[in-house]
Amino acid sequence: MTTMKKIQRTWKINGESRTVAFPPARRLLDVLREDLDLKGTKEGCGEGECGACTVMINGELAVSCLLAAGQVRDGAEILTVEGLEKTPGGRLIQRSYLEKGAAQCGFCIPGMLVSSYAFLRRHPVVNEETIKDAHAGNICRCTGYVKIIEAVQAAAERWPADEGKPA
Amino acid sequence: MTTPMEQLDVAFPASLPEALALMADEATRGLPLAGGTDLMVQWESGARPVPVRAIDVKNLCELHVLREDNGRVVIGAGITHAALRRSELIQRAVPALAEAAATVGGGQIQAMGTIAGSIANASPAGDLAPTLLASEARVVVASVRGERELPLTAFILGYRKIDLAPDELIVRFLVPARRDGEREAFRKLGPRAAQAISKIMGSYRGAVRDGVITSFAVALGSVAPTAIRLPDVERAVTGQPLTEATIARAEQVAAASVKPISDIRSTAEYRQWVSGRLVRGFLEHLAGA
Repeated sequence: MTTMKKIQRTWKINGESRTVAFPPARRLLDVLREDLDLKGTKEGCGEGECGACTVMINGELAVSCLLAAGQVRDGAEILTVEGLEKTPGGRLIQRSYLEKGAAQCGFCIPGMLVSSYAFLRRHPVVNEETIKDAHAGNICRCTGYVKIIEAVQAAAERWPADEGKPA
Repeated sequence: MTTPMEQLDVAFPASLPEALALMADEATRGLPLAGGTDLMVQWESGARPVPVRAIDVKNLCELHVLREDNGRVVIGAGITHAALRRSELIQRAVPALAEAAATVGGGQIQAMGTIAGSIANASPAGDLAPTLLASEARVVVASVRGERELPLTAFILGYRKIDLAPDELIVRFLVPARRDGEREAFRKLGPRAAQAISKIMGSYRGAVRDGVITSFAVALGSVAPTAIRLPDVERAVTGQPLTEATIARAEQVAAASVKPISDIRSTAEYRQWVSGRLVRGFLEHLAGA
């Protein structure tokens, strides 16, 4: 097999400028985990069903297993689970998951947290139905959804007014 | 870890003209890659061979238009399901499309997958096609030879087959906006609400005046090799009073006019029965229920 010529991208990952080179269709998931050593993002199914590899790119959710990393252009802002602690809202969600005991085995949690963050930063209408909809792309096989829903609800009640923008 | 896609070359054109120039030449042409929610899965699993080259069309700003123009909604090829779902214009002018987009996958897939990807994939289970068919949408494709506009019914040729030349890209869809008095809805049946491929789904647009159905367009997905309109049903109800008798007749005609297959997601008999029930539900919705 021939080795595909690498391309280079400079992104703002979790607020930090990082430059990395990779074959153009290498999965963003692999670039994050292996080339940038951001191991918080998990690979579950590898086909976009489970949401364990969820990240945010320029404010939109993405499953990083279905994204050719080259498609993320220079200057893009990427948020992984490691970046949550850098924002008040992200820290609030993390603490809320802890307080409600929302993690069981924990494998789905990085993706869940990113989906929770993407949801709450739009200042949405928060109820059980909208929370379920916002996390429909994240699957937990411990079946721990109830506490996750409670954690998101609790975080929503204290969400910083100036973080994110209206839906 | 090396995945099969790491053997894939990708071109990153900066503009639509640049992309079309790449597509025009056999030596530089590639498979258009936008959200990747179908192609990446197929390539990674080996269900479809990894091509020599892909052309990244995700980032072409020309494909991200979303505006109203003379009673039609212009939807760029690269508009995602998330954008459709959130758009106030879509919610007002083609609400069934917003409803359909909201049922696709989860939030991540909605934020990645595009309208053109959904149509180009040409799966009978694609959730956007029925609404676009029922609203008589047209598609515009482009190449260095120029643009071509055709009805979506003519563009979707068959199971996973579309009328797109090797040098062409889908650039936008033209969707007639709902007129005053017109109602529409989308309904989908799957094993669960999210992350599930449809067993069957459909969409309608219609109007009723003084108790008489003045127009009714209905399309279903997952009952044939492509999403289809149901002309027999449309003929049976147009001009008729919107009564239980008309609805019951339409339900029968619908069940009799589809020839679905049994597959991993459902059985032919169930799909036939549900086709009738969906049509009934649409007429009840039209009646204001």
